[in-house]
Amino acid sequence: MKRRTWILGGLGTAGALVVGWGFMPARSRLGTPGDMLLTQGDVALNGWIKIASDGSVILAMPRSEMGQGVHTALPMLVAEELDVPLIRVKLEQAGADKIYGNVVMLQGGLPFHPLDTQEGTRTRTVRAGQWVVGKVARELGINVTGGSTSVADAWMPLRMAAATARASLLGAAAAQWQVPVAEMMVKDGVVSHPAGKSAHYGELVKAAGGVPPGEVVLKDRKNWRLIGQSAPRLDIPAKVNGTAQFGMDVRLPDMLFATVRLCPMLGGTPGAIDAKAAMAMPGVERLVKLDAIGGSTAGIAVVGKTTWHALQGAQAVAVKWQQRLQGGLDSDRIETKLHAALKTDDGFAFFKKGNPAQSEGRAARVINATYQAPFLAHATMEPMNCTARVKDGKVEVWAPTQVPQFARAIAAQVAGVDIDDVTLHVTLLGSGFGRRLEVDYVGQAVRVAMDCGGRAVQLAWSREEDTAHDFYRPMHAANLRAAVDALGNVSSLTIKSAGDAISPRWFERCATVLNGPIDLPDKTTAEGLFGLPYGIEHQHMSHVHTRHDVPVGFWRSVGHSHNAFFSESFIDELAVQARQDPYVFRRNLLKNAPRHLAVLNLAAEKAEWGSAMPLGHARGISLHESFGSIVAQAVDVSLVEGKPRVHRVICAIDCGTVVNPNIVAQQMESAVIFGLTAALYGKVDIKDGVVAQTNFNNYPMLTLAQSPVVQTHIAPSTRSPGGVGEPGVPPIASAVASALFSLTGKRHRALPLVA
Amino acid sequence: MELNINGKPVQVDADSNMPLLWALRDVLNLTGTKFGCGIAACGACTVHVDGVAMRSCVLPLSAVTGKPIRTIESLGTPDQPHALQTAWIAEQVPQCGYCQSGMLMAAASLLEKKPKPTDADIDEAMTNICRCGTYQRVRAAIHRAAGTPAAGAKA
Repeated sequence: MKRRTWILGGLGTAGALVVGWGFMPARSRLGTPGDMLLTQGDVALNGWIKIASDGSVILAMPRSEMGQGVHTALPMLVAEELDVPLIRVKLEQAGADKIYGNVVMLQGGLPFHPLDTQEGTRTRTVRAGQWVVGKVARELGINVTGGSTSVADAWMPLRMAAATARASLLGAAAAQWQVPVAEMMVKDGVVSHPAGKSAHYGELVKAAGGVPPGEVVLKDRKNWRLIGQSAPRLDIPAKVNGTAQFGMDVRLPDMLFATVRLCPMLGGTPGAIDAKAAMAMPGVERLVKLDAIGGSTAGIAVVGKTTWHALQGAQAVAVKWQQRLQGGLDSDRIETKLHAALKTDDGFAFFKKGNPAQSEGRAARVINATYQAPFLAHATMEPMNCTARVKDGKVEVWAPTQVPQFARAIAAQVAGVDIDDVTLHVTLLGSGFGRRLEVDYVGQAVRVAMDCGGRAVQLAWSREEDTAHDFYRPMHAANLRAAVDALGNVSSLTIKSAGDAISPRWFERCATVLNGPIDLPDKTTAEGLFGLPYGIEHQHMSHVHTRHDVPVGFWRSVGHSHNAFFSESFIDELAVQARQDPYVFRRNLLKNAPRHLAVLNLAAEKAEWGSAMPLGHARGISLHESFGSIVAQAVDVSLVEGKPRVHRVICAIDCGTVVNPNIVAQQMESAVIFGLTAALYGKVDIKDGVVAQTNFNNYPMLTLAQSPVVQTHIAPSTRSPGGVGEPGVPPIASAVASALFSLTGKRHRALPLVA
Repeated sequence: MELNINGKPVQVDADSNMPLLWALRDVLNLTGTKFGCGIAACGACTVHVDGVAMRSCVLPLSAVTGKPIRTIESLGTPDQPHALQTAWIAEQVPQCGYCQSGMLMAAASLLEKKPKPTDADIDEAMTNICRCGTYQRVRAAIHRAAGTPAAGAKA
């Protein structure tokens, strides 16, 4: 199938929505005051901005705070255009209107080569594809926090909303004072005129409601006073004194607590259940049988007076667990199948250029290597949990979720009520990493609440359940081949990867609006292999999407997380074959990718690449673009008692225009630790359907003592913002593997690096 | 039974084998102390018992009766924040924030024992898990609160 047909085919999976999109009105995302919650004393000026009588600003916040700083970055955009101090921007959970949907995330699903999507040089096909998907996304209005898109998506609509509100407020002042708008000044939310008049926004807002904003112009970047500054995060004060409210901190009158025990065999079911002993325990209230909800495995929930009682009770229930009919899942067997698929299946070609076969025929040598990466769990610090109350045909849910609409939808589906009868409160998330793009735990909480006689119930998973019933990063294998001449110059690169598709499974269980009749090649698992910046004449990148029924999900940086390990490690191998320094080798391949080259150079320069290292230390370097940003990492590694110890990681990033450099640095630090934990230790094994890892004792996490120093350097840019939450993850594994090769001469082609 | 929490005697209607964590969270609604693993591996549930950092998820109430218990809720007040809380804000440590109560309580216990900790002291005392990877800022904030020079370079 040609790429273009694929794109349109992909849109077709959105069903009837494609039909007639040409007739849809080109609505902006400004919204109307009615989209916001009606609150006493506040006046909404559009779907995003309300002004309180004291002049403070209330922003409709559609995105979830899971550590990535979005509850600071988005208010910064608004504070900038409204000229108010950042701390005067308060947040209110956004409603369900489609203006809050994430358009950029859906556009990011298009399978274009990143070099074709750069601002200013977008190809016609790219522009057309983005326009169509933008329009469809706008109509779908899917509110998702994911894909490192929150700032990129909010960049225009939020600044426009704030600037529009400001224009109306100034218009109101001009009308009252009978002076031209052009003579007005605004400082800290106070509008003033040189003749002596002044009023704060709260005093003007009632009149502003009726004032057309006229032509709204966004601030020129040279006049920014907030964007680009490391403003302190608004969420931090509550996170140092225990008052920040996560999902598990919801407390309601007369509430109950519950926990789950799902069938240990993935996809299995509970058979005979004996709950006599459990029900006899004081504080244990009841047992609820759980079907497979939202893609989860079936099992039981036990309700108690406290979470402790529920946990004790759940362990005391005797259940005869039944394996799924198709037999137990097995990660070793899946590994074998993936390697077989690489040999027998052509897969779907995401990118083709030149004629690699011909190039290989003429080459002095063909270098060939096969790589693989294991299943991984998300292991968010806050285990899966949700609080729900089902009473009088209404459902109220408190959930740490990245997908509020889908959470509402599953609540409605499970309770058998209309979606309008579901009220959802999004709490802070004790991290997400993609795990909270799932709604299994929300559906379970509602199901349990249905049996609790109108009382609120908080359902919390144990760490063991959280580890055993994740939606895992799928295992992947890849074969990489390069044609080189006698000097090691690369003329062709052929990559084929194989692994389970995530998107179609996620559509089925969560995003049913996107569900299609057949599984299309999943861009999210292939991405990172077909968008390489290197100037290699002949390329062929294909992906075999498989289905092995292990529940798989989006894991911070998704396909990029393993694909960058494959591609960048192989580039490292090619550098070794060419007897070249890995940095110099890459530099020579980046003549037509100046942004990538600049980022690579920045990392190398800050790492003092080429300078002498202490005895027993080695450097590694890696470069990868994902989610609209380019990251290079240079690492300093040694072996301590035979095990890798990463001392320092220099990160260079080009993420376009930076809203808050401190948050960018935080995310680079976070991504490095997250990626390094996975690279060194991360592995989920499945035997007879059961996940072998259970808790942090056997699914280890990097600790403070083992952590490197991470330094972040941001390449200056005036482009639109790219992503920040995920792009720091992909390069780290190959950078460390490259250093290990220098230290030991052993090439690591499988993760984790520490067996 | 009676517990001594944050300087006050508190009546708790709970079994003596209930871990302190759940009495704090689900009985007393002191939700600042977090549940992370249930096996004392992650430290999200760290509180002070007799001034020493302990992991409350495996600490039965029977082991803490009569002993002063201190939780994140009384580490400082809005008017008088603990030096670590001030340092935590200055270094912009938290991201998701879920592990930070435990981190702060572990750090406070460290500073009570060793007011001028070295990097090695911090490595040894701070074994809490943070999935957001705030470790280097935790280290920097402890040094800042203690007035000791930060060893590792910061971005």
